[in-house]
Amino acid sequence: MKSHSAWGTSKSLVKFRIPTSDNLVPIRLDIEIDGQRFRDAFTWNPSDPDSEVVVFAKRTVKDLKLPPAFVTQIAQSIQTQLTEFRSYEGQDMYTGERVVPIKLDLRVNHTLIKDHFLWELNNFESDPEEFARNFCKDMGIEDPEVGPAIAIAIREQLYEIAVQSVTSAKESRISKKGRRAGEFFSASKTGGNAVDLVKLFGNKSSVIRKRKEWDVYEPIVDLLSNEEVDALEAKEERNIR
Amino acid sequence: MATGSNKSPSTPIPEPSAAKPISDAPTPTITIDLPPPSDSTPAAITTTSASAATSITAPNSIATPTTATAVSTSTSTSNSNARPHPEPLSSDADIIHIPSYSRWFAWNSVHECEVRFVPEFFDGRSPSKNPRVYKYYRNAIIRRFRENPAKKITFTEVRKTIVGDVGSIRRIFDFLEAWGLINYTGSSKPQLKWEEKESKLAAAALQGGDAAGGSGTNVTISKSKLCSNCKGVCSFACFASDKHDMTLCARCYVRGSYRDSSEFKRVEISEEAKTDWTDKETLQLLEAIMHYGDDWKKVAGHVGGRSEKECVTHFVNLPFGEQFDGPPESAELDTALSSQNLSRPTKRMCLSPLTDLSHPIMAQAAFLSTLVGVDVAEVAARAALTALSALGDGKLKESLKISSGAAKQQESDIASNSEDPNSMEGDLAEARLQLEKEDEELEKAISGIAVQTKEIEDKIVQFEEFDLQMERKRQQLQQLLNLLFVDQFTLSLHKTPAQPKAGESIGEGVKAD
Repeated sequence: MKSHSAWGTSKSLVKFRIPTSDNLVPIRLDIEIDGQRFRDAFTWNPSDPDSEVVVFAKRTVKDLKLPPAFVTQIAQSIQTQLTEFRSYEGQDMYTGERVVPIKLDLRVNHTLIKDHFLWELNNFESDPEEFARNFCKDMGIEDPEVGPAIAIAIREQLYEIAVQSVTSAKESRISKKGRRAGEFFSASKTGGNAVDLVKLFGNKSSVIRKRKEWDVYEPIVDLLSNEEVDALEAKEERNIR
Repeated sequence: MATGSNKSPSTPIPEPSAAKPISDAPTPTITIDLPPPSDSTPAAITTTSASAATSITAPNSIATPTTATAVSTSTSTSNSNARPHPEPLSSDADIIHIPSYSRWFAWNSVHECEVRFVPEFFDGRSPSKNPRVYKYYRNAIIRRFRENPAKKITFTEVRKTIVGDVGSIRRIFDFLEAWGLINYTGSSKPQLKWEEKESKLAAAALQGGDAAGGSGTNVTISKSKLCSNCKGVCSFACFASDKHDMTLCARCYVRGSYRDSSEFKRVEISEEAKTDWTDKETLQLLEAIMHYGDDWKKVAGHVGGRSEKECVTHFVNLPFGEQFDGPPESAELDTALSSQNLSRPTKRMCLSPLTDLSHPIMAQAAFLSTLVGVDVAEVAARAALTALSALGDGKLKESLKISSGAAKQQESDIASNSEDPNSMEGDLAEARLQLEKEDEELEKAISGIAVQTKEIEDKIVQFEEFDLQMERKRQQLQQLLNLLFVDQFTLSLHKTPAQPKAGESIGEGVKAD
């Protein structure tokens, strides 16, 4: 384990996509019409035809018995997020051996989840859905809505990171002249939220986490009572305003 | 006339025995409907005896060797004697209905029609869509539905709880719904109407006008909704929330700005509460129904000024103590026969075509039963039942005469109604038992026939294949023969130039071949 300079140079250029095994877009909806609020989050397959958007919007409105004005709003919201995703699609992003920390901090119905773990970014076989399923199974979560929420949270963060890497790729290309690519990348790699593997798994340290960091990386699942849920909801709404 | 009791007095309700799962199937049992009738009513023949259950498994096992359905002998007696249209059900019995065209379903395997209808998972185009994922989605959806089979599950509930991309989930959901593997519970509206009418007729005939009148007033009371906030009557639409157990009128809902829209469901109140039906309109409605039966467009046209929906809802809510003006019908014999027919469908599953009230005899039976009054109808039914049992013995004509005579006599004796109620009930119970027995036998026979026809079909298919192969072999042989002929011919041709008399010997050679 001599020189770790190999880490920095294995950057490859890849077409933009979410770095998971299936290229699904996380979509978040937060629509308010006439005092009625509809919040939702789910994953969407961008290779579905656009007609699917309207179908989905109508179906959702029908199932939840929302007023029909929601249909157009929902469809529009989904479409904008999809087009935004597609706008990144043609571009390149850099992938390398990057390990990023992912934080989960979400509340689904009565379950509160806090977690913090490391995720390998250039592993295109990774599957947030699988992770979510295992998480729920291992932690014994009974509420079936938690799984998808976790998967979506992970996906959103990966999406953001992917977008960042696209922009950084663009910047690097703009300012490429005269600089060596390697320098720039190592800078951007350690900056932001990537974990420097060199430091972590360097010569002297071991793979096992330090004891003081155990708490940080431990998953916490809390079941809330009704009053706590209401209190949290009220707080969230106040924050939003 | 059947007493309309929902449970057979003699067979107790057994607790559902543990299902014997053949594989990973969950505990709910699955009964397979035999070929659904053309109007796609789920003719679930849930049986009340173990033997009948096994007769149903027989076609099941032949048709789908990979089927992992668990057919337990748990019974649902609530199904046997109640309405002709079986409703799913009391969760005690844990019986799930699926249509016969979905018999292929198995928890652990993927059938070829699934491959055909949802090909995106099987063509390997995208790495995340593979059969394993498909099975996971499909089984998850079906499992969620079966947790509460009485309620139709919506796509949104499903997709909120399954980890995956919503487009594929939607397609799988639609596929499953189309094939009746989920949401196969609701009865379509016309059926509901007829069975309600029948039950009302039965109730009216038996319990007299009082109960019917009572039920009529109950219906009108439950229609108006009060807002729990302002205590006013909700007119147009109200918002009902199960979570908070509240009903709000539209104004209060908006004012109170209840934001979480998923809790509140919007309920439309029909316009009928505002405009009352006059007697004349009601009469027109009934006449129209008599004439046109199920065709609500014509009925609405006849009544004039009322939409189809209004006609339907009003008819359904009619208290049946009313007397109709039907076409005059005087023969007691007809009464006996037709009331016998009326008693039958309340027991039978919808194999009987007489459950449809548009049938003229049925309609007349309804009128007559209200015209002649409760007691006469009961007595006539008894007489009819004795006639029926006598029919089984082969004494057709005599017993009919007897029954008609008895009916006449009893009608004349109606004032001095001195029958012993107990014996009547005993007779009725016996008759009912016999009818049930015959039902079961009939079902057994039918399922046996279905099995046999399936076998025969399979054999025919095999024979056809054999025929095809034979034909091929024959053709091959023919070709070989031809080749042989050609060989011999050329051989003889080679031989003959050695001999001087070419022409003759060629001719000989040819002839010899």
